[in-house]
Amino acid sequence: MDIRSQISMVFHLDKCIGCHTCSIACKNIWTDRKGAEYMWWNNVETKPGTGYPGKWEDQDIYKGGWEKSGNGIKLKGAGKKKGLSNIFHNPHMPVIDDYYEPFTYKYLDLIESPASDDQPTARPVSLITGKPMDIKMGPNWDDDLSGTPDYARNDPNLKNLSPAEQQAMFQLERMAFFYLPRICNHCLNPGCVASCPSGAMYKRGEDGIVLINQEVCRAWRMCITACPYKKAYYNWHSGKSEKCILCYPRIEAGYAPACMHSCVGRIRYLGVILYDADRIHETASAPENELVDRQMDMLLDPFDPEVIESAKKNGIADSTIKAAQSSPIYKFVKKWGMALPLHAEFRTLPMLFYVPPMLPVMASLTEVDNSAQAEKLGDIAKYWPDKWLYDTSTEELWGTIDQARMPIEYMASLFSAGDTEKVKVRLKKLLAVRIYRRWKTVGDISEEKANQVLSDVGLTQELAEEIYYLTSLAKFDDRFVVPAAHREQAIEMIENAGDRKGSTGFGFKEGTAKRGL
Amino acid sequence: MITGFPKKWRVPALGVLTVVIWLGPTRHVMAAETGQQIFQGSCVACHTIGGGRLVGPDLAGVHDRRTQAWLEKFVKSSQSMVKSGDPDAIAVFEKFSKIVMPDSSALSDAQIKAVLGHIKGAGTVGASSESEKPSVSEEPVVAASKEDILLGQLLFQGKTRFENAGPTCISCHNVTNDAVIGGGVLAKELTTVFSKMGGTGVRAILGAAPFPVMETAYKGKPLTEKEIIALVAFLQDADEQHAYHQPRDYGMGLLISGFIGAGILFAFYSVLWLRRRKDSVNQKIYDRQVKST
Repeated sequence: MDIRSQISMVFHLDKCIGCHTCSIACKNIWTDRKGAEYMWWNNVETKPGTGYPGKWEDQDIYKGGWEKSGNGIKLKGAGKKKGLSNIFHNPHMPVIDDYYEPFTYKYLDLIESPASDDQPTARPVSLITGKPMDIKMGPNWDDDLSGTPDYARNDPNLKNLSPAEQQAMFQLERMAFFYLPRICNHCLNPGCVASCPSGAMYKRGEDGIVLINQEVCRAWRMCITACPYKKAYYNWHSGKSEKCILCYPRIEAGYAPACMHSCVGRIRYLGVILYDADRIHETASAPENELVDRQMDMLLDPFDPEVIESAKKNGIADSTIKAAQSSPIYKFVKKWGMALPLHAEFRTLPMLFYVPPMLPVMASLTEVDNSAQAEKLGDIAKYWPDKWLYDTSTEELWGTIDQARMPIEYMASLFSAGDTEKVKVRLKKLLAVRIYRRWKTVGDISEEKANQVLSDVGLTQELAEEIYYLTSLAKFDDRFVVPAAHREQAIEMIENAGDRKGSTGFGFKEGTAKRGL
Repeated sequence: MITGFPKKWRVPALGVLTVVIWLGPTRHVMAAETGQQIFQGSCVACHTIGGGRLVGPDLAGVHDRRTQAWLEKFVKSSQSMVKSGDPDAIAVFEKFSKIVMPDSSALSDAQIKAVLGHIKGAGTVGASSESEKPSVSEEPVVAASKEDILLGQLLFQGKTRFENAGPTCISCHNVTNDAVIGGGVLAKELTTVFSKMGGTGVRAILGAAPFPVMETAYKGKPLTEKEIIALVAFLQDADEQHAYHQPRDYGMGLLISGFIGAGILFAFYSVLWLRRRKDSVNQKIYDRQVKST
């Protein structure tokens, strides 16, 4: 057992309101620079939709992530052999038009234009060329546009759905969508790190944050192809690649990352999780239908004395173990089993988990044989030669899940490598807590029924209360359990702290000329 | 306040004043540029006054041989006189190895007169004035060292840069020599320049080029003494050896092989980039969008 700690995340999609505050917080801090204008380390997508960059989930286009190869796995579009043969012309990278051409507006024209018969306008200007441009696309161009032929119907997740189901999804009265906020998953088996020819990418030992060393990066851009989530970006100005750093300077200081701190819907949770690094290869090579379960198995119980002992042997601090014990991630992912990784089939073992969203219920459309009925119609009767049966009834307790407007297959394609059962279990737990709380607060449901739904999904009243608390009432410190970084100890690995004693504090600085003073 | 000056004259007066101030220094400079200075600047590379023959004839006592009008015309444009069949002009041209004396289009008539006046004066005063005499002592031809020839060859081809960053010779000139592949055709072929002009002449031209294009090219970037010696050594060597040198003439072959090479490269890259994504996933959407321009 090789126990390591990972800072992991849960995004509770049922609470996301799609306000993009997280994206703006991140942009303001990290990517409001030359060469980084087009980057959104954090972005929020409307699903179904093609996302940002367009169709990023379609690995036939971008060749990201891992694929099975014999007993093991290999990178789909990068790696030693492919990387070397493509090193000067990496053919599968997204182009700027797959993202969008970043722009701003000439706002000053609004106040500085001379008086004239017409209102002054603020023309859009490209942030790449600096010239006036036609805006063609944005990072959330398809925001709230479910059902559009260009975006929603081109969602790569629809490929497992039959044409009838796809058609049904986009009926006007059935139309539904939800938001999918995305940041770097800080995977356990990151394709980007494996693909880097320069060795510039690494996964931090102490907390598993995946970073690019800007000094070492040589702009081969293999990480951009290799990351199936397209969360590594190339800065055309600095000539280096960049990615989400999980605000590690904030984490080290004990703060939550900016996107999480600013989250209006309080959908984001962050905490430590302990995992067994020996099982990474075996888990990533598992058959597709076992991927999610195996990944869950890798995550360990921080209360298990055996786990604690081996963790300590591996140099994991007591404070980190304590943080792992109160981690909201452990609760959502392991204890309650309510969250799932995004696209486990990419085999990178992402460490950002999503609680799938409950969606509005609607009648289902099924394909039936209407010919017998059509024959009974008279000659002058209005007749539609279709085969759809429009059914709105729901008698069963869990009917709202089976008949959700968004087909469960669609959710399964996103969160469980196509296994609808895993999504269903998690949605049922969400619904069970709702029904339980409805009995408690509204009272129009009997206690018997509430208890029944809870036991159906393996929950108790106490657990339901816990889930309710962390979902709806949780305070800042409940949502973000950031382990101490112990920088005071880390610094001792680099320099002797005793050398500094007596040399800092009040007085004159030496070598200030270099600082440009 | 000065009230005497009529208001309506103020602007024209200011204009006149401006013109006077503006012209003042220019006229002053022009007046100050004496015949001697012009001679030093433009003529001294090829001519002396009583110092013996360089590239062109010694001009001491030239007024005894030719009329003032003839001289003025010749200085202005020697070639047009040769072409028009002036027997004296042709004779001089033939005598001095058919080296063209560049037209002095930059000099005004007054300046030409000033130069000629200077030549006349200096010539009659006697060829003793030391400052006028370039050091044209007929030094015995020293056999140039192998190092000098090699350095000259490198300098000529631009493989070694000139110290003052002047342009390399090969960009305009060619020399028939095995070491040199295809020099420029913009200016004179220099294979036999040494026997035509002699060491002193070549050295003088390299020191202060009398040809307008060359003069501009090397303005502010003069060759150093060492470079001149090396280049002269190389040109001398090239002149002596040119009968034995037969540099390969690639002719059209060079151009054709260039095209073939480019074709091969294009084919190679189109195979290499065969799998490259041709356009954005959003291209269909972009194609449909209305553009403002």
